[in-house]
Amino acid sequence: MKKIARYLLALYIIISINFFIPRLMPGDPITNLMGEDYIASQDSIDALKAELGLDKPLLVQYVTYWGDVIRLDLGHSLHFHTEVLQIIASKLFWTTVLVGLSILFGTLFGAILGALSGWGKNDPKNKILTTFFLWIYCIPPFFLSLIVLYVFAFKIGIFPLRGFYETGTFTDIAKHFFLPVLVLSLSLASRNYMIMRGSVIQEKGKLYILYARAKGLLNRGILFRHVFKNASLPLITLVALDIGFIISGALFVEIVFSMNGMGTLIFDALLARDYPVLQGIFLIITIMVVLANFLADIVYGIIDPRVREQR
Amino acid sequence: MRKPALPRQNGSAQKKSLTSLLAVVLFLVFFILALCANIIAPHDPWERFDPYLPPSAEHWLGTNDLGHDILSELIYGSRVSLLVGLGAAVLATAIGLSVGLFSGYYKGVTDEILMGITDVFLMIPRIPLIILLAAFLKPSFWIIALVIGFLWWTSTARVVRSKSLQVSEMNFVLSSKCLGFSDMHIIFTDIFPNIIQIVIPKFMLTVAAAMITEASLSFLGLGDPSMKSWGMMINFAFTKGGLVNALWWWFIPPGLCITFFVYSVVLLGYSHEEKEQAALGIG
Amino acid sequence: MQFLNQVSQILGKKSFKKIYILIGLLILIPILKPGPRVGYGIAKNQNKRILRIGTSDRVRSANIFLDSYMSVFAQLSNPPLMKMTPDGRIVGQIAKDIHSSSDYMRWEFHIQGDLYWSDGGSVTAEDVKFTIEYIRDRSPVAGWMKDTIDTVSISDEKTVILQLKRPYTRLDVEMATHGLLPKHIWQSIDTPMQYINPGENVGCGPFFIQKIDLNRGVILFAQNPFWKGPNPKIDAIEVHIYQNIDVLSLALDKGEVDVFYNYASSYPYQNLKKIRANSRFDFIEKLSTGLIFLGLNLGKAPMSDLRFREALSFAINYREIIKLDSLGYGKIPNRGLLPPSIEHYKDTTPLEYNPEKAKQILDDSGYGDHNSDGIREAHDGKNLTLTLLVRPVHARLAELIQDYLRSVGIKTTTKSVDTSTWINLKDRYRYDLTIARTTPWGMIVHAGWATGYFDSRRTGEGVLHNIDDPKFFKLCDDLLSTRNKEKLRYSAFQVQDYYNSQLPAIPLYWNVFVTPFHTKFQGWLTNPLYGIFNIDNFLNIEPTPN
Repeated sequence: MKKIARYLLALYIIISINFFIPRLMPGDPITNLMGEDYIASQDSIDALKAELGLDKPLLVQYVTYWGDVIRLDLGHSLHFHTEVLQIIASKLFWTTVLVGLSILFGTLFGAILGALSGWGKNDPKNKILTTFFLWIYCIPPFFLSLIVLYVFAFKIGIFPLRGFYETGTFTDIAKHFFLPVLVLSLSLASRNYMIMRGSVIQEKGKLYILYARAKGLLNRGILFRHVFKNASLPLITLVALDIGFIISGALFVEIVFSMNGMGTLIFDALLARDYPVLQGIFLIITIMVVLANFLADIVYGIIDPRVREQR
Repeated sequence: MRKPALPRQNGSAQKKSLTSLLAVVLFLVFFILALCANIIAPHDPWERFDPYLPPSAEHWLGTNDLGHDILSELIYGSRVSLLVGLGAAVLATAIGLSVGLFSGYYKGVTDEILMGITDVFLMIPRIPLIILLAAFLKPSFWIIALVIGFLWWTSTARVVRSKSLQVSEMNFVLSSKCLGFSDMHIIFTDIFPNIIQIVIPKFMLTVAAAMITEASLSFLGLGDPSMKSWGMMINFAFTKGGLVNALWWWFIPPGLCITFFVYSVVLLGYSHEEKEQAALGIG
Repeated sequence: MQFLNQVSQILGKKSFKKIYILIGLLILIPILKPGPRVGYGIAKNQNKRILRIGTSDRVRSANIFLDSYMSVFAQLSNPPLMKMTPDGRIVGQIAKDIHSSSDYMRWEFHIQGDLYWSDGGSVTAEDVKFTIEYIRDRSPVAGWMKDTIDTVSISDEKTVILQLKRPYTRLDVEMATHGLLPKHIWQSIDTPMQYINPGENVGCGPFFIQKIDLNRGVILFAQNPFWKGPNPKIDAIEVHIYQNIDVLSLALDKGEVDVFYNYASSYPYQNLKKIRANSRFDFIEKLSTGLIFLGLNLGKAPMSDLRFREALSFAINYREIIKLDSLGYGKIPNRGLLPPSIEHYKDTTPLEYNPEKAKQILDDSGYGDHNSDGIREAHDGKNLTLTLLVRPVHARLAELIQDYLRSVGIKTTTKSVDTSTWINLKDRYRYDLTIARTTPWGMIVHAGWATGYFDSRRTGEGVLHNIDDPKFFKLCDDLLSTRNKEKLRYSAFQVQDYYNSQLPAIPLYWNVFVTPFHTKFQGWLTNPLYGIFNIDNFLNIEPTPN
């Protein structure tokens, strides 16, 4: 149960950071908390201070903050004219589709190809694949998106220029998602490929492989029956850790492909200095990341009995 | 160094050295560009000519929307990438090393606390945090390098810790302890030298990650406007007619530069790692 | 464990490679099948005549009352009391007759008899009274109403009477941008700051808002079934919102939208070449009645010093700005601020680029650089570092200004925020310098002739309200006290003389608006205020025959 305590502690600390950032930053704290879009005459500023609790001692404010967080009351956005939670929730669905599909393809292809590559000999086919993914790894996701957008949507014109959908049919949505998912999956796949390959190469040197060979198992059999299981351990952690990377990657992809999801929301909120929304997003993402790590940890434990034994 | 000698393997060392050679050459090219930008660049990148000029003898890569010579911008852009990349990586590695060393050597409570802190930092969503901070603060490349450095040390710490754990169990360290050397002395004279080999590839990868992050932030417009950055060049190309007018000479070269620079750094890191693996008999 | 093993074994089999390729093809083929090249609107409804407008004015929320750009587009469904004609006069729209008392303290608006809401009810004076009071009490951008309007009453079903607190000759003009709200819907909305409605919004124009789909980025207007006016010759209007102007330009070129419209803005000059090459487009080019200017926080030193402002005006390279920011589609302005396209224009001194003179003036006015660090000091001894507040669209112009000021020894830092944030920061004087464009609307509010931007007695609405000079107040009051053409001409000249001598803002350039539109529609009518986005236009255009 020490594990759960660890995660709760991490969650606690990060959420507290979220509390302190607006209060530590330069500038007017009301602005930092409400965003720069609020309009208040002088007399309502005092009322606002009272409502936000800024006249109370820091400790009381802190407790109130936690009360709000637990109830998921993330405040109001004066810029989007709605509650912060509502605006985030409305954008979350489509971004989740984008991110989900990308994780699916990126992890699958990256992991499988990486494993095969690490296992096999250093033949030209392997080298080309590795070099290809190495290049993809080095291309910033926003640039890859830009090139893909330029070539396929601007120049050749077989894919739409923007948005999540136009007519809402399945083919239509698929067309709109194809390029963004392609880019995000490739970026992810390259990372997973590298890690998996390195991991399998490391496993190759271990003794149990020798033993399996002695047992008479064929190559492929060894790879997938034993090695994959062990080599996939860091991969699971990586997928969990990648949640952070994926969300940022999705941000850039959404901006380039003009998709009105979470990524664009972050960017709009930034330009509008809509601090409530920015902090709300930060909070939600943090919760998701911590949850993902926690789940990964559990899955890790299931797959690797040694970890289980340690508890 | 009192590291026990291990047998070295020959064989595919030649193939590996070709790739490392390429990486070193590529890296040096950008390094020299950054260092001698004012000599190499044909024009002052802030000087304004006629806008939107296509490539010509006078401007090999044409001019941008404000009339700046794109080739000169490109050359000067290597400075920001290098500075932020190195600066952030140095900071991140310094923090990661310290955390990992102390954690692995002292073990026990220190280890628990330091690893707990590492866990927290691992889970902080980095780009959203940088964006949040950028909303409050003014953009400057020092702040960017600082923030990246403060957030990217965790994987170095983990790796240093596990190696440090390993090394501190070795006999020569135990004997140093018996001889009465202070902890700090042991950490820096015995353990640290044996960690370096692990740290170098991690350092290179952090440089790569920092470069990509800086370019991505500049693309969003959060970069330092007082310096030329490849990411910012692409930002302006994206918002000022670069795509619809097919001005490929504007947005493709900076993107390629980022890619090549990062590629050289990553290759340097990997080739070093492969050398080590070959030395240790793996791969 | 066993299951995982077996699955991984099966997946690894070589023969399955072929199946993967097959699946890949099955997914790709329907995706790569070329869809309709022209916009989906036309393809789906071959018999419907739909006008698709492309804009990069980002609508943030489905709130027709408070969202800066949504309220512009809502002019179609919720028309204001007054409108501007193509030749720039303000005449009645919802209001068919307007009377004012001779002292301009009492105004009567008689509204059209045959206007109906899209849900069936008829438009009455109740709606007008409700709207005016709602705006006065709830809208942060109508501060002037609180100061000016005393009571709103109804004398009969179609007549609204406004009793004012002070004489106001231009009340009817002010009513040209506030859309009419249906009382029966909006009376129950207590907190408009927290209200969004992405579905049908009841309106009384020839079209009403059917849907605001921000995920897709489209506002759909359908014909108002109860509209009794002249029949529009198009069936529906769609406003397509683009996040990136390059993508919008390409969409226009490809035919995904039919016309470009950004409020008070021109089509991006750098993309004109490409669209001109497309033979299916015609263009409307007009010198704007607005302009781009450098706003100054006049209440703060050193911007409060006239000599400092004079120096700034010589430091700016106007010719280069026109070359780079408008690619030649502009003119070097005069110190009198107002462009020749405005009524009662007076020729004043042209602005001049003379950095040596700028430095001279700064030296002579006590802004020397005593510690020789390249930055001049203000009168209080501190380095002159000014904050330049801009919207992202002016980022490059800001760079130019920064450079010009730096070469005369003034350091500036740029802060870039989005439109509504910029409006608020401006309102609260949180800047030293700012780059603003005046909209044609802004030029005529308050006393007209851009006074609405500067008179500090008129707050809110994203104006600068930074002139406190009683002389200026008198000029504004003179303009406000009469509707006599001769008197107005005289006062307008006085105002321009004031701008000329006092330089409360430094004009940067007078710009030309270029609007491309597809020749598949004809009968375009634009007005200086809303360009092509006005009801007269939408009732007039029709698909070009053949």
